[in-house]
Amino acid sequence: MSSKPYNSFEVAQGQFDRAAGTLGLDQATRDLLRWPLREYAFAIPVRMDDGHVKVFRGFRVQHNDARGPSKGGIRFHPQETLDTIRALAMWMSWKCAVVDIPLGGAKGGVVCDPHNLSPREQELLCRGWVRQVARDVGPFRDVPAPDVMTTGQHMLWMLDEFEVVQGGRFPGFITGKPVGMGGSLGRTEATGYGVVFTLREALRETGVRLESTRASVQGFGNVAQFAIRLYQQMGGRVVCVSSWDQRDQKAYALRREEGVDLEALLGITDQFGGIDKDQARRMGYEVAPGEAWIEQKVDILIPAALENQVTAETARRVHAGVRFVAEGANGPTTPEADALLRERDVMVIPDFLANAGGVTCSYFEQVQSNANYFWEKDEVLGKLDVRMTSAYQAVSDLARRRRLPLRDAAYLIAVERVARACRDRGWV
Amino acid sequence: MGLRMDAAVGGAGWAEAPPPYRRGFLSSGLTCATIGSGPLGGKAEGLRRARAVVGGLPPEPGLQVEVPPFVVVGADVYCEFRRRNRLSTVAGGSDREVAAAFLRGELPAETVGDLFDLAREAHVPLAVRSSSVLEDARSQPFAGVYLTKMIPNQALDPEPRFRKLAEAIKLVWASASFATARAHRGTTGHGDGDEAMAVVIQAVVGRRFGPRFYPDASGVARSCSFYPYGPARPEDGVADLALGLGKTIVEGGRCWTYCPAHPRAPAPFGGVADVLDRSQRDFWAVDMGTPRYDPTTETECLVRASLGDAEEDGSLNLLASTYDPGRDRIVPGLAARGPRLLDFALLLAGDDVPFNPVLRRLLASCAESLGGEAEIEFALELPPAPRARPRLGLVQLRPLGGAETAVAVSEADLDDPRAVVASARAMGHGAIASLGDVVFLDPASFDAGRSREAALEVARADRALRDEGRPYLLIGFGRWGSADPWLGVPVTWAQVSGARVLVEAGLPGFEVEPSQGAHFFHNLVAARVACLHVPLGGPGRVDWPWLQARAEPAAPGALVRRVRLERPLAARVDGRARRGVVLRS
Repeated sequence: MSSKPYNSFEVAQGQFDRAAGTLGLDQATRDLLRWPLREYAFAIPVRMDDGHVKVFRGFRVQHNDARGPSKGGIRFHPQETLDTIRALAMWMSWKCAVVDIPLGGAKGGVVCDPHNLSPREQELLCRGWVRQVARDVGPFRDVPAPDVMTTGQHMLWMLDEFEVVQGGRFPGFITGKPVGMGGSLGRTEATGYGVVFTLREALRETGVRLESTRASVQGFGNVAQFAIRLYQQMGGRVVCVSSWDQRDQKAYALRREEGVDLEALLGITDQFGGIDKDQARRMGYEVAPGEAWIEQKVDILIPAALENQVTAETARRVHAGVRFVAEGANGPTTPEADALLRERDVMVIPDFLANAGGVTCSYFEQVQSNANYFWEKDEVLGKLDVRMTSAYQAVSDLARRRRLPLRDAAYLIAVERVARACRDRGWV
Repeated sequence: MGLRMDAAVGGAGWAEAPPPYRRGFLSSGLTCATIGSGPLGGKAEGLRRARAVVGGLPPEPGLQVEVPPFVVVGADVYCEFRRRNRLSTVAGGSDREVAAAFLRGELPAETVGDLFDLAREAHVPLAVRSSSVLEDARSQPFAGVYLTKMIPNQALDPEPRFRKLAEAIKLVWASASFATARAHRGTTGHGDGDEAMAVVIQAVVGRRFGPRFYPDASGVARSCSFYPYGPARPEDGVADLALGLGKTIVEGGRCWTYCPAHPRAPAPFGGVADVLDRSQRDFWAVDMGTPRYDPTTETECLVRASLGDAEEDGSLNLLASTYDPGRDRIVPGLAARGPRLLDFALLLAGDDVPFNPVLRRLLASCAESLGGEAEIEFALELPPAPRARPRLGLVQLRPLGGAETAVAVSEADLDDPRAVVASARAMGHGAIASLGDVVFLDPASFDAGRSREAALEVARADRALRDEGRPYLLIGFGRWGSADPWLGVPVTWAQVSGARVLVEAGLPGFEVEPSQGAHFFHNLVAARVACLHVPLGGPGRVDWPWLQARAEPAAPGALVRRVRLERPLAARVDGRARRGVVLRS
């Protein structure tokens, strides 16, 4: 028996096809939106610390910019593929549209493992990436941002290179910059908080008190950390987190029945979100294989690591008590797993809605950077919450009226908005 | 067109806590909600009860009665804000430092979305009031100790509206750590850790008049009065009315005091000139222009305006009368030419708006709901008919503090030769022993122009005696706690909070009526501190020679003198008979 390898882009296209069919889009619109508008694939030569030159593969995919400049992160990952980037760029289009911000969708990446690169090598990689695409990105064309294994420092190197190439100061070229260097307060928290804002609304809607719920989280990067923080501040209890162990090249799940101590875990976590499992064990955490995060007896699962984590196989191991899945990561649930969860009446808050807090705050950062006027954190987070809540409520309202899963309803809203922008521009 | 925070009228009041805030709160027709969790505090509990009372009132066609919509930010939010921003360490700083530190703090992320949504939806001026768990309780009042901030909330964009709302909330929270609040907690036996402050955000009742927004009238009414005058009895209650925001009344400014059972009874003034001289001349309004930027002050978005401004606004029609110099009499209304004065004559006559009968019913219902005496704060909006119905917004309901113990003081007792102070206009009930110290303003050196200096000297004496744990008798001239230094000594409640008996004496050329409108006096009454008014020429007296003979030597130029007694004085106050004496043993 053979199984076809998971392809994110095929999944994304399948999701689009379903929405397009429901919306009755014409063929031209389908053809336009099923594929990216533009794709850039290029080589980035970098002289390594030992003197030899290594050539990295880089990408930038602009799926659609009918609603505004395209927006999307840059990932540094050894398993990066063009199809992954395509899928993520398409999801960015839907994500921006579902929260109704005037941006299109894009994504970029470099096939590399930054764990194995010195800071100097990473800087050269960032600058090399920008030199390859500097003519095709910019504050009013395509605005990159941090993503998997890229940080504010990477963004600053990229911004600096872009400004050298273009000759000027363009703080709105890139988002995710450090605060004080054109970054927005609240950006660090935004994605994780956004996940919890939508989760809070889902719980309210179904009459479940957040304070009485327990959650298990996959991943311990930025999204997971801040989702855990806000969820626990609101009164919920996270009993399990999983994280990648760089040394062992595998993930572990850390369990603590009385709830994880976020601050204590942050004290034993590396910059990529890897928790020191030995120290965690000494602190009283039970250390289990990474996939154990999905089997926990909890009400809520928050996959906040990579795509393709909740599959037909792993979904069967989801505990019967689980009622909500809030997708902090991009594309963590396969369509087969989605169907299984639906059968079990598990409410899945789809990725491009749940984790849209990041791009929403990136949009805020872009606005602030272009105006060179920066807001207080209260204001950033207040606006973020209002926008995320409004987006959730719109999706939920349509889902209720049309008896659809949230993901399908979110797709209908997003795809229809992008399609309408293309029509209004006279493209189709 | 923006939404207004218009209240639903009538309907069933809710007995439970306000429901959690929902996005679109105002457009959904809800009129109260809670953001966050934790205790609601005294004011919010009062509003909760007020809604139930108003819901049970029969409809009144001529005057709509309502509790303006409000949102309570629970006390847990305050606690989290303090904890996450590590603000407990700044509590010992100056008020300005404390305010600045609180303003720098970040609001808990769980609440900012709801607050932003509220700012986005509301398009009327908002009052942000403290609602401390220690505030407005029957025996331990904090009314007036914490700040209330009004914001115009009129910017076109929601962002600046949200910023001002957030600043206002933080400032009100900060006021719990101000020196006055810390001192007040000390005198009521509470530590700083006992405080937890909810915040009430409420639509301001009123109308916009160009660059100002204000209610036509504000008022404080009590179902029982310790200062009845003329035909009134204590149980007839008392009400203070002022043009504009209620700040005038609660700060002890000039206002119109009357008995709801006798609205047409002559006011306790010494003639027309006296009325002209002592009635309200200016008023507070929300500044709808361009307020100066100073988020650390309570009055940042407020403005004082004159009666002339109000007449131009057209808001005096039912409130003001006119002095006719030719006949030396006051003519109700504005038809005649001449100086205007605020005596609310046409409003109280009730021909146009049934204000007083409604107030009486409301007050009685509030007292019935509390099972005891009640105090309410309200604001009136009187749009010209037939444009809209006048409305009365009930903005606060609380128990009226006071002692139930009956202490009889007869007329003969006033002539007791042992009396250091005897008053036939006393406030308070009960017996107070152990007054081992007296602090008094020396009539020989008193100068109304130096009353601010006198206030500081009194505060120093008060602090010293409190540090020693010695309750004392305080004697001065005019109104204690007056915001106007020409009407009395402008001390705050915290600056005299060690005194157990206050005496307001008259002097030649300095005779001021006692005020019942100030928060200072509410604190005084509910804290069971007696206040004895001794007008010049009696009835009653102060035995100045006895005091001066025992006073400690004073520094040259000192306005305040102190007496320490080996055998303490004892005070007895009969509030219903309005008599009180302080006797030496």
